[in-house]
Amino acid sequence: MSSAPLLRRILHGRGIWPAVPALAYLFVFLALPMLTLLAFGFVTIDRGRIVADTWTLGYLEAALADDLVWRLMWRSFWVAAVSSVLTLLLAYPVAYLFAEAKGIWRTLILVAVVSPLLTSALVRAYAWIVILGGRRGLVNQTLLSLGLIEQPLRILNTDWAVLIGMTQIHLPFMILPLLAVLAERDRRLEEASLNLGASQTGTFFRVVVPMSVPAIFAGLALVFAVSYTNFIVPQLLGGGSYSTLAVQVYEQTIVVLDWTRGAVLATILLSTCFAFVLAIVAFGNRLARWNESAA
Amino acid sequence: MSHIALQDIAKSFGPVRVLDGCSVAVDKGTVMTLLGPSGCGKTTLLRTLAGFVEPDSGRVVVGGRDITDLPPNRRQVGYVFQSYALFPHLDVAANVAYGLRVRRVSQAETQARVRKALDLVSLSAYADRYPARLSGGQQQRVAIARALVLEPEVLLLDEPFNALDAKLRLSMQIELRKLIERVGITSIFVTHDQQEAMTLSDRVAVMRAGRIEQVGAPIDIYDRPRTAYVAAFIGRANVLPVDIRGGRVAPDPAIAAARADGAAWLVVRPENLAIENAGEGPGWHGTVAFATPQGATIEYEIAVGMAEPLRVVALRKVGEPPAAVGSPVRVRAVDPAACVVLGEGPDSV
Repeated sequence: MSSAPLLRRILHGRGIWPAVPALAYLFVFLALPMLTLLAFGFVTIDRGRIVADTWTLGYLEAALADDLVWRLMWRSFWVAAVSSVLTLLLAYPVAYLFAEAKGIWRTLILVAVVSPLLTSALVRAYAWIVILGGRRGLVNQTLLSLGLIEQPLRILNTDWAVLIGMTQIHLPFMILPLLAVLAERDRRLEEASLNLGASQTGTFFRVVVPMSVPAIFAGLALVFAVSYTNFIVPQLLGGGSYSTLAVQVYEQTIVVLDWTRGAVLATILLSTCFAFVLAIVAFGNRLARWNESAA
Repeated sequence: MSHIALQDIAKSFGPVRVLDGCSVAVDKGTVMTLLGPSGCGKTTLLRTLAGFVEPDSGRVVVGGRDITDLPPNRRQVGYVFQSYALFPHLDVAANVAYGLRVRRVSQAETQARVRKALDLVSLSAYADRYPARLSGGQQQRVAIARALVLEPEVLLLDEPFNALDAKLRLSMQIELRKLIERVGITSIFVTHDQQEAMTLSDRVAVMRAGRIEQVGAPIDIYDRPRTAYVAAFIGRANVLPVDIRGGRVAPDPAIAAARADGAAWLVVRPENLAIENAGEGPGWHGTVAFATPQGATIEYEIAVGMAEPLRVVALRKVGEPPAAVGSPVRVRAVDPAACVVLGEGPDSV
């Protein structure tokens, strides 16, 4: 087949054709390397070489039988779940404020929301070390000098530090989907609610929040996925002995150089992440059934 | 005493004065229409009554109680939005039940009242549908049921037929009028459609640029418009510059005018003009510029040397051809008493 008709189909075609370049890119640069990497978990590797004819599920079975893997997965899960909910609670007021603001204030809020994305997560994690860390950290120094505490609080290298860091770093992923939906919502529905006798607060919980359910769950799915698989924040803010499934993938692959174990754990990490995200999306769709019937 | 009284309401949005001292009174159990072109402030006046807009000055009185400072959720005022504003995340029954749930009415009573309200608008079969799966007419009926189920003191409707196609519109207008009569609720409509105002209301308030231009029964306003603006807005009208001489209108002395000699304006409906044979005599002399037989009537445009041609609607007999274009004719008023002489023309405010 010559390239001219293919190009024409991509530029003017219907259905899947316009997406072909993107799909090809994803296949070559995402799917293939990922499959290769994951495949390492099912072969024996000796001194950097794959030993021929050693296809086995044994490494995966061994990992699933390992109590440590389950404990790591549980920590990954609850840290991601709690930080997703915290993110939602912090993001909603910001998005609501944006929707109520006008003109320059909207621009300022948007810049404030997006600007953390311009710095790397690594830098932000280090910033949290400075803020939370030890006797001379910002938090402890302030609390000590105010006389509110006598001994410095131990926040760094605990679950708290990991939750605080994750929540802050992933906040934009929650705010952005909420911004769009709350800013463009139909305010006549709120007038209708007031007219029918509901208070401002009642209207918020009966109309505004239910109407934003699709955005809430889009944000939850997004934040859960990036939190569950984040290995920088738990490593830096949780301390040397703090580990999650994602941290183990990194350590086994980069530090221990046990690629087989790293690949097996990555397989478990990705498939469970996928399952959790699907569950979140399915639950959100169930709550927002009215949204489907419109389509 | 009137059931609803809006007294001298004024409201500005920034530099724009949207309402400029509007006063309207509506008697209990009657239907009032606020009629005017878009931007005349009619919706803002209705929103003031519902409490969505805080007036800069003036009072809102319903049933003898001053509710000017009451928030919208404390007023017993049903409101049907132009777009209906149904809650898309609630099915029909839950939409209608919304106000009852908010008031913590018992489950059993809520169900009974919702069923009754849906029966009233013939939508019982659609109770578990989501609004997105209803037609425009059905959505409108849900919105009305949702307002009526709370048994409000008054019902306000903001252009409720705008979103419906022309065919459905007329039948829904008649249905709604019957429904309102059955329930006996004091209602105010907002519309820019004079036909709708005629069909629906006991009284019409014609609005213009934030003011009430004229209030009256629709047919009175049609017969006796107080200004050229009202005449042109309610039905079709010829508004002609005329001279008054000795209490008579110059081109057609059959029309009496109780005002001083000088320039004036004459309002005459197209169906109140008749074409006569050309020749000497009173009336407007001109030529047929355009003729369209419409079945029962023939519509003429007669060029009489004024900026606008005269519009004449003549009854047509079967087989009768219209007067030929270009032929000279004389136009006279059929019923001189039905003509209205005004001091101010269409351009003055």
